[in-house]
Amino acid sequence: MPVLKPLSGNPEAPKQYNQPSRKGKKAWRKNVDVTEVEQGLDELNAQIIKGGVIAEKASEELFAIDVKPDTEIAKKLPKQLKKPLKADEILAQRSAVPAVSLKKRPASETSGKVTDGVLPSKRLRATYVTQKELSRLKRVADGHHTTTVEVVDATFDAWADPEEEQRKKQQAAETFNFLPKVEKPKAPKTLTQQPISLAATGKQLPAVPKPKGDKSYNPAFTDYSERYQEELRKAEEAERKRLEELEKERLKAEAAAKSRAEAEAAEKRAELSEWEDDSAWEGAESDAEGLANKKKRPERKTQAQRNKIKRRKAEEQRLKHEAAIKKREAEAARVKQIAKELAEKERQLALQKAESNNAEDDDASVEEDDDVELRRRQLGKFKLPEKDLELVLPDELQDSLRLLKPEGNLLKDRYRNMLLRGKVEARRHIPFKKQAKTKVTEKWTFKDFNLA
Amino acid sequence: MPKIKKKGQAGAAKNYITRTQAVKKLQLSLPDFRKLCIWKGIYPREPRNKKKVSKSATASTTFYYTKDIQYLLHEPLLQKFRDQKVLEKKISRALGRGDVSDAARFERHAARPEATGKPRYTLNHVIRERYPTFNDALRDLDDCLSMLFLFANLPSTSAVPAKMIARCERLCLEFQHYLIVSHSLRKSFLSIKGIYYQANIQGEDILWLVPYKFNQRIVGDVDFRIMGTFVEFYMTLLGFVNYRLYSSIGLKYPPKFDQLKDENGAELGAFSLEGVNMATQGETKAVTNGEEQEQGPDPKVQAEVDKIIKQLKEDESKSDETAEEDAEADDEEKPTDSIDKFEPVAPGGDVLPQPAYSSRDPSQLFANFTFYLSRETPRQPLEFILRAFGCKRIGWDSVLGEGAFTNDESDPSITHHIIDRPVVQAATNEDGDGEDNQTAQKVGPNQRYPGRIYVQPQWVWDCVNDEELKSPELYAPGAALPPHLSPFVKAAPGQYDPALPLEAQQTEAEAIEADLEDAEKGNAEDGSDVENDMDVDEAEDDEEEEEGDEEAEEEDAEEDEEESKTLQRQLELEAELQGKKVQNKKVDSKTKAKLEQRKAIEKKAREEAEDLERAKGMLSKKKRKLFEQMQYTNNKKSAQDEKLRAKRRKLEKEKAQKA
Repeated sequence: MPVLKPLSGNPEAPKQYNQPSRKGKKAWRKNVDVTEVEQGLDELNAQIIKGGVIAEKASEELFAIDVKPDTEIAKKLPKQLKKPLKADEILAQRSAVPAVSLKKRPASETSGKVTDGVLPSKRLRATYVTQKELSRLKRVADGHHTTTVEVVDATFDAWADPEEEQRKKQQAAETFNFLPKVEKPKAPKTLTQQPISLAATGKQLPAVPKPKGDKSYNPAFTDYSERYQEELRKAEEAERKRLEELEKERLKAEAAAKSRAEAEAAEKRAELSEWEDDSAWEGAESDAEGLANKKKRPERKTQAQRNKIKRRKAEEQRLKHEAAIKKREAEAARVKQIAKELAEKERQLALQKAESNNAEDDDASVEEDDDVELRRRQLGKFKLPEKDLELVLPDELQDSLRLLKPEGNLLKDRYRNMLLRGKVEARRHIPFKKQAKTKVTEKWTFKDFNLA
Repeated sequence: MPKIKKKGQAGAAKNYITRTQAVKKLQLSLPDFRKLCIWKGIYPREPRNKKKVSKSATASTTFYYTKDIQYLLHEPLLQKFRDQKVLEKKISRALGRGDVSDAARFERHAARPEATGKPRYTLNHVIRERYPTFNDALRDLDDCLSMLFLFANLPSTSAVPAKMIARCERLCLEFQHYLIVSHSLRKSFLSIKGIYYQANIQGEDILWLVPYKFNQRIVGDVDFRIMGTFVEFYMTLLGFVNYRLYSSIGLKYPPKFDQLKDENGAELGAFSLEGVNMATQGETKAVTNGEEQEQGPDPKVQAEVDKIIKQLKEDESKSDETAEEDAEADDEEKPTDSIDKFEPVAPGGDVLPQPAYSSRDPSQLFANFTFYLSRETPRQPLEFILRAFGCKRIGWDSVLGEGAFTNDESDPSITHHIIDRPVVQAATNEDGDGEDNQTAQKVGPNQRYPGRIYVQPQWVWDCVNDEELKSPELYAPGAALPPHLSPFVKAAPGQYDPALPLEAQQTEAEAIEADLEDAEKGNAEDGSDVENDMDVDEAEDDEEEEEGDEEAEEEDAEEDEEESKTLQRQLELEAELQGKKVQNKKVDSKTKAKLEQRKAIEKKAREEAEDLERAKGMLSKKKRKLFEQMQYTNNKKSAQDEKLRAKRRKLEKEKAQKA
């Protein structure tokens, strides 16, 4: 006997709300009771399959008022109504939703594209990202994106008559005079200032210095020999400096070694001669020697000791003072010489200035080469890279263009020129990232023992 | 009491800003900040006192003007940089969560502006800001061109993408095309670093350096991110400059670019230039190397139009010729100082050595010649220079790429053959060679085609720099080349210049001295013959001299007399010692004049020196010292130059004697 069910509402008996505790994040996610929602969705799906959502249908579609009997049905029906099998019934069910078409189509992405005919290899996962791609993405995330400047052919004249534009703007301003004027930000005057040149003279250097005759692949003898001699002189100077430096270092090391040896010897002697007569400080030390392990309070000095120290200090002071006076006197005697030196220096400077002025007058700016004297204060944290020696050695000098072995590196040259003109500051290339320092320690596991 | 000023509220502390502060203010990452600074032309500055500027304990190293940075806040590019930063954050967050596909999606969408609606940015507006006028842009073109030509010749790496290189190459070639068409290339110089070019565009001298092919090593200590930023900016700049230049001579920009030809190494030949209004002109100016134009609107119409144009041109040239002829006729009628020109009789014939200065247009220096480049010569620079100086037909070996006028070495129209290989020391019968060449396709190592000038590549450069055709014998294959001098070094007056003839640079005094020496030598050789005649002469001359001198400068005359007397006595003594007859100093009228001239010059010099002494007395001690030093160095230099000139004189004389 069929049980009568109400059309709506939960037929079950009211019961305790069975949502368990939602304390904690995980529990919140896990223990949400979604059966109600799932049921609802299932029901919705079933309704769609049977021909549409019932709630959305008009009542005429759902219901019909049968006014008169249909007599033909009885005739159609067989005498004995045969009930079909349940299995057949189930199999005969058809969904109202049309089936997904199985016809093969080109993918939407490739539609309209002409391919080379080679099918792309199938991937199991469409969203798969290759390792190569991943490393690129990581780089992008680090700010190493490839160029974002769109390079397009110039399609207009950037320097087209500015007056024309101005006129147009003015016209617009007149017609729309009721609008408030938009004030354009003014470029500050500092923007037009020249960058700081790294030359000692402070003059702006040319982007491409004019080459002198000695840079020729087939130079005139005089040009070449002059340049060669000069480079030779420079190299010799550098070598001399290097050797001097080495010598200095050697001397320093020697002196250090000597003093160390002396100190050691003195220590030994001190150990031997404990009985030695001692002054105020030495006494304290030598006393301490005897009782090395024991920390000893400094003893109170006697008046005689204090006086002795005072006398010694005064003597030291006097000697220092005398030395200073002596030095000053010597300098005073040398004052004329110093004045002379200064004057000479000044003269040299003035000469240089005058010569440079002359050069300007003659418009012979050939002097400004890349290897100008640098100013003392550098611009950034790092030094300007050294200039390559651009010189063909005499035995490599060829008179044929075919045999020429080019000197110098233009890339470096350009970069250095940029730095030299103060367009950018020098940077240092860091080939590897600094790794965290690891410290190797030994675990003292032998100490972890239990007394059973 | 004045108001007490707080520290760090005014002055340097306000005017300057450290880099970190600037980056924070603009909310950018440091690399982006660097980029922006390079594009907008904001350079690091240096305050007088660093301590007054930075508040931090650690020394800041880079400072900027605060106003510059403030102005950067209005920059539209800033927004783009920030968008990029947002994207980076999104990607890194997705990667951190392990949502790689999400990260990929973000990146993909950002790279496809048509999908996101966010366009990528251009630097167009920056160009106009940085260079308010076209001439400003031209002034900065040195750096731009050097950079782009360099990058066009780099191998592609991860730091320098191939796309960028291709773009650079294209822009450079377009620029070269402009130079060719407008004939604005002026000088070029083969240095050990690369090839220097100088062009003159609208009155601005532009100098740039192009590396030799296949030579670029990529070194570690160059920051490619910075270089790349510059290149991006310069690519945009050169694009606009090219546009302007092309439109200034009525050409369409960008020119047609043939990908296929470019892949075959046609380089300059891959472009075909077009006039702006094709319909009216109906003419495509292409670097066709004398070939027929393949593509065109309609062959029939084209042919007709061509015909008409040809006719017009012929008419023009005829009228020109007639004008020239008229002019020549005029020249013949009245004698002028101009030097005769030697024209080849037949077109494409031997080029005759031209006299020293020619009034010909230097831009048409190679106009009548057909060149052939041997396969060991550098094709790109040669092609560019030859074309820029008017050459229309250049052939080369097929190894050197497409686009040649001819690949056939034996083409009879070739007038000049540029060759750079050593002469093989094989004994060949010279007489037989010519006949062999006529029949044989390939020639032997030392064999030459007759009727053609063989030169080494340096000839082209020297011709261009001197704006005249140098004599090709000096540059023949195997010959020791004359030194290749820098055209950018202008010799100071009085300085020794190996390129000039001796007469043009020696001082008057030197010339006279040299002549006198010559004369003396001549005398020593054939002195005795004319001895007697000269005796009388000299006496007369002496009298005259004394008369003339008496009034004006008595002292000088006396001195001179004394000098001559002592000289005479010395001569006599020498003669006695050698047991010869006393030989009077033989002075013919010419030498006499020279002597007088010398005296005058010496006197003038002496006077000048005196004047200088007097003027020096007026100077302060410091200035006088300075002046003396300058004089000393100048004298040293001029003595050196004099020595060099004397050496050359001697050499020339020896040569003359030999000949």
